[in-house]
Amino acid sequence: MNAFAGTVDRYAQTPRRVAWAGIVVGTLAFWLALPPVQARAPWVPIVVGLLAVACGIWALTRDVGRLAWGAVAVGLIGIGLGVLATRSSTGHLGSVVTWGSLIGSTLVWATPLAYAAVGGMVNERSGVVNIGLEGMMLAGAFFGCLGADKFGSWEMGLLIAAAGGAGFALLFAFFAIHLRADQIVGGTAINFLALGVTGYFFIQVYGQNGTPGDLPRIPNVNIGGLHEHTFFGDAIGHLNIMIWASFVLLIVAHVGLFHTPLGLRLRAVGEHPRAAETVGISVYATRYVAVTISGILAALGGAYLSIGFVGSFGENMTAGRGFIALAAVIFGNWRPFGAYAAAILFGASTALSFRLAVYSDAASVLFQALPYVLTLIAVAGVIGRSIPPAAVGRPYTKQ
Amino acid sequence: MTEPTNRDPVQGGQVEVDAPTQEPGGYAPSVAERLAFYQRAGGVVTPLITVILAFFAGGLVVLATGHNPLRTYQAVWAGTGLNWFFHVGNYHIDIPFTGHHVFFWWNTDTNGLAAYNLTQTLILTTTLILTGLAVAFAFRCGLFNIGGQGQYTAGAIVSVWVGSSWAHMSQGLHVFLAIALAMVAGAGLAAVAGFLKATVGAHEVITTIMLNWIAYWVGSFLFGRGGPLQNSADISVPISNDVTPSGKLPVLWGNSDLQALHVGFFIALGALVVFWLMLNRTTLGYQVRAVGYNPEAARYGGINVARNYVYAMAISGAFAGIGGAADILGWQYRLGVLDIQVSNIGFIGIAVALLGRNTAVGVGLAALLFGALVNGTSTRGLDASIFPPELAGNLTLMIQALVLLFVGADVLVLYIWQARRHLRLGRRPAAPARPEGTA
Amino acid sequence: MADTATPVLELRGITKRFPGVVANDAVDFDLRKGEVHALLGENGAGKSTLMNILYGLYRHDEGEILLHGKPLDIDSPHEAIAAGIGMVHQHFMLIPVMTVAENIVLASEPTRGNVLLDMSAAEQRVRELAERFKFRVDPRARVEDITVGQQQRVEILKALYRNADILILDEPTAVLTPQEAIELFEILKELVAHGMSVIFISHKLNEVLEIADRITVLRRGKTVATVPREGATEADLARMMVGRDVLLRVEKQPASTGETLLHVEGLRVVDDRGLEAVRDVSLEVRAGEIVAIAGVDGNGQTELIDALTGLRRPAEGRITVGGREMTHASAHQFLEEGVGHIPEDRHRRGLVLEFSLAENLVLHDYAKRPYATRGFMSPRRVLDKARRLLEQFDVRGGTPSTPASALSGGNQQKVVIAREVDRDPRVLIAAQPTRGLDVGAIEFVHRRLVEQRDAGKAVLLISLELDEVLSLADRILVIYEGRIVGEFGPSVTEEELGIAMTGGRREAVA
Repeated sequence: MNAFAGTVDRYAQTPRRVAWAGIVVGTLAFWLALPPVQARAPWVPIVVGLLAVACGIWALTRDVGRLAWGAVAVGLIGIGLGVLATRSSTGHLGSVVTWGSLIGSTLVWATPLAYAAVGGMVNERSGVVNIGLEGMMLAGAFFGCLGADKFGSWEMGLLIAAAGGAGFALLFAFFAIHLRADQIVGGTAINFLALGVTGYFFIQVYGQNGTPGDLPRIPNVNIGGLHEHTFFGDAIGHLNIMIWASFVLLIVAHVGLFHTPLGLRLRAVGEHPRAAETVGISVYATRYVAVTISGILAALGGAYLSIGFVGSFGENMTAGRGFIALAAVIFGNWRPFGAYAAAILFGASTALSFRLAVYSDAASVLFQALPYVLTLIAVAGVIGRSIPPAAVGRPYTKQ
Repeated sequence: MTEPTNRDPVQGGQVEVDAPTQEPGGYAPSVAERLAFYQRAGGVVTPLITVILAFFAGGLVVLATGHNPLRTYQAVWAGTGLNWFFHVGNYHIDIPFTGHHVFFWWNTDTNGLAAYNLTQTLILTTTLILTGLAVAFAFRCGLFNIGGQGQYTAGAIVSVWVGSSWAHMSQGLHVFLAIALAMVAGAGLAAVAGFLKATVGAHEVITTIMLNWIAYWVGSFLFGRGGPLQNSADISVPISNDVTPSGKLPVLWGNSDLQALHVGFFIALGALVVFWLMLNRTTLGYQVRAVGYNPEAARYGGINVARNYVYAMAISGAFAGIGGAADILGWQYRLGVLDIQVSNIGFIGIAVALLGRNTAVGVGLAALLFGALVNGTSTRGLDASIFPPELAGNLTLMIQALVLLFVGADVLVLYIWQARRHLRLGRRPAAPARPEGTA
Repeated sequence: MADTATPVLELRGITKRFPGVVANDAVDFDLRKGEVHALLGENGAGKSTLMNILYGLYRHDEGEILLHGKPLDIDSPHEAIAAGIGMVHQHFMLIPVMTVAENIVLASEPTRGNVLLDMSAAEQRVRELAERFKFRVDPRARVEDITVGQQQRVEILKALYRNADILILDEPTAVLTPQEAIELFEILKELVAHGMSVIFISHKLNEVLEIADRITVLRRGKTVATVPREGATEADLARMMVGRDVLLRVEKQPASTGETLLHVEGLRVVDDRGLEAVRDVSLEVRAGEIVAIAGVDGNGQTELIDALTGLRRPAEGRITVGGREMTHASAHQFLEEGVGHIPEDRHRRGLVLEFSLAENLVLHDYAKRPYATRGFMSPRRVLDKARRLLEQFDVRGGTPSTPASALSGGNQQKVVIAREVDRDPRVLIAAQPTRGLDVGAIEFVHRRLVEQRDAGKAVLLISLELDEVLSLADRILVIYEGRIVGEFGPSVTEEELGIAMTGGRREAVA
């Protein structure tokens, strides 16, 4: 699934393209059974899906590995879901699959993950594991509320959120980098600390009543001419500024990481800190910056959640999204586009899970485990292996 | 001609600057390397300083937000019920069947508020011992089991399922079966991580985090609305069936309607003994410790390192699974989606294990500390007129976090301990408390 | 070539102490413009320490460094680079997943508009540099995909890109194939022709004589001599390099050998990098004899030992112990078959430092009676054994419950030897058994090994120390680049052995 991630690969050859085609065709197998085409005959997804599997198998024999397995998997899943869809009532299908609003809500759910995931990717690239993403997100959610409330503007909310996230990040960085504490233990501590600090001040400041209802909100961008209940209107007509900004963030992260000297140095520090140090790069400074960036980004994701999307704060409101973001980093193979795509995928699974309640409440709940199962499969290396930066998790001692 | 005194490629001042030795899947291999240091450094001194620092910092937060830290901590202390032990005075014990009584110096009131609070503290201690052991055992094998929460949940799910089925079974068998299967469930979940570590080298921290959330959602699914194990009485409530009377653990102390201390407490104490015996008196424990300290030497000694990863994780998971069963069969008697979603007892287990230095005695004491802290700051335990429990619960989280932060940075704590000397000599901190390698 | 009088670089009276050791003792060294100056010495002679001081990785305690006649203070590699000193480490400082060009320009990258990396400019500059010095590298290849020899060229280019005029190469041929070594020498000649000065660290006589203009020999942290290549002979250098102040001799009876207990045929073993480290080794060790494998470190000894103890799978060949096929046996099976192993690194492998001495002494037998029954260990019996062995092997500084880390190196080694010898093995493999020990402990170890021989065991000794080999062995095999290159009797001289060990007197390395 480092689909988008693969920069223009050096061994770009036909088998890889065929594998890609397989993935597209496999998706098609499912799509054909959905509105608006809505083929009702089970053989349609089966035949198309088998085509995708065939592509995958052919690519496998040409040594494509991960991508080819992906095509086979997508093909099989396409068959399964497609057949299921043909047996579902058209009414249900219609209510679950309204493409425009599905895309819109996917973006809504994916955005907090995307910010945190891009942040997490930056610090993992510098060789620091940040289990504390969850806590930094939560801090952002709370301080975003606090700032927006006290200063009466969402811009200040974002700023205070970023500062809060940066504060937690710096604390973590100090322990993980300077004191060389175990990064896992430190990250776990940050999660607890953020839970405690945000909960404490939330009660202290707002008491039992919760955040005020007139909290300044991060505005949506309403694109004129795109009306509700049209495809584009539902999908992108009323997206939050933060969602649009996340696209910019993605580009900046990609360019910054792969096309600037700073990105090159950051990656060098994460891969081989000693080598970086011998050419004059400060490993500590680089890691501090990377961890702080990740704290700020995770906090912005959290702030989007509280003052962008929900409009209030609740204790532990991130509810594990930081961990999904961590999963997205891994699933996205430590690349900006990969992490972002994983965030979209996981966001889509959340968006979809709410709609699946039409079929069954229980199934929609179980569906939420999907990101974790996928990530487990990815690290288990069943479909090609996710390879982390070589020095990740290792405290560095200066010579 | 010189002595290579350093086998740690990361921390030491070894000159032969080395490329990072990449483990298969080398995510964060620092645990095994620093385990030795954790075990060696500072005996009880660092945990004590850690705790004092954490409480001090927590007190500052209380002070800064306009409350009185001393009175707050006093109220928390009262809420823990530990003051029960200090009610020394003029009491009496009835001698059965005679109507006589003898005077006794120690508190004999087993029904008062302090006694009630104490039972609540011990209930929490019970579970924390087990989730703490779940982290500690893996740690002794050089693995960081962050999945105690998921394994606990797995144990709770299975025990509530078994405990609420087969109502006709005899109590002993029913309880045994429920605990045993909960243990298997916890062990199984953890073993997945161990297996992935042993075979493809997937880092256990990542896999156990993922398994935590999988357990979380599977549990929410099972007992949620329309879930296969949802209670049969009221389908609008996302909760399990009740554990049948035959599946409940016998009560030791207190009224079972008000959450009494149950036999599970002794199971936990037993688990501490088993943990110690297993580590120090069995060949398996020998292997696990050898692998944890020095996998390369273990391999040289003829020990199958990969297999021990699986065993150690499974045993860890078994402890957490029992923890889940103890809560369900001991006082909860049912499991709701909300219970699964708000529980963090498995995560506190990490703090328990690390503060307890992964030893049996240490885990027992740390579990008591955190059990008392959590209960003392709970809505039930804390006197709301002195300090709002809603704040206190969060204060507890902060203190736990600070304990974890400081435990993770022994270097800092040791440094503070030695600060007097350093201050006097005005030296810079001698950061790494490790032997320096030579060329 | 080396005719300019003023040295480019001068080290005067450099002294560096580590706890308990003087790694460099008033070392003098000078480098002239346009010369290759070899620094020759055994492992541990202090070569690497000296170069790490020069490269800013270490602070020297005494002495001074002069660059072009001016005193220079080097505190970090960065400052060394700024002063024009480049170093090619034995373990390359390269990032495997990045391209050649990325590795070379790292930290001084060409940019477009000061923001974006200009990789095409970087590649262009790398190509130009490579052309100027007649290198062949592909700037766009990933470092992990190119050969070790090419990686080394990337390291050299890294220094050249940073305008180094002094290049330090630390054991550069250790990782190279003979063909790659020849190519490296061509490159070095090219560099020198362009006016660069090269410090070439090595312990291989033949290559030093081939490439160096002058040779400085270091022994035990001290400069022995600096000699020009003209007139230097392998024999002289070998004597200067390995000469010993104390020659230890062990009293022993002539060997009375019995049946062959360890038999190795056509063994090939691959190292961690996937390179062939042991190449077609055949040997046999009979009961009642000590066979020594002499050689310079890193010539395949580690991999050979690993294969002979079940810790590494051989790629090819056959191993039998007492006639039993053991080629693919596990470490556990080797132990069961009576192969004892004193490992070369007692900290990494021989001991669990955090374990007590008693626990360490049962590392192989913890699960056997009487130490354990049905999975339960008997601490009392373990302690009894420990008490007996500590007494018998005269281990000082600890009781059975002392952690192994608390003991001195010599006593730690006694614990290892006690454990291995007490198991009464048929074959005993002793890898550098006296590494890091003082004279008393060395003598103890040597006596024990001879005792084992006299008790009819087959002893295979792997050692880097010539006098150890000479005083103990009944037969001596010399290993060089993974091959057994010679077999000698115990009466061979140090010089002969030294030359064979360093690849001398053979057809050209290729």
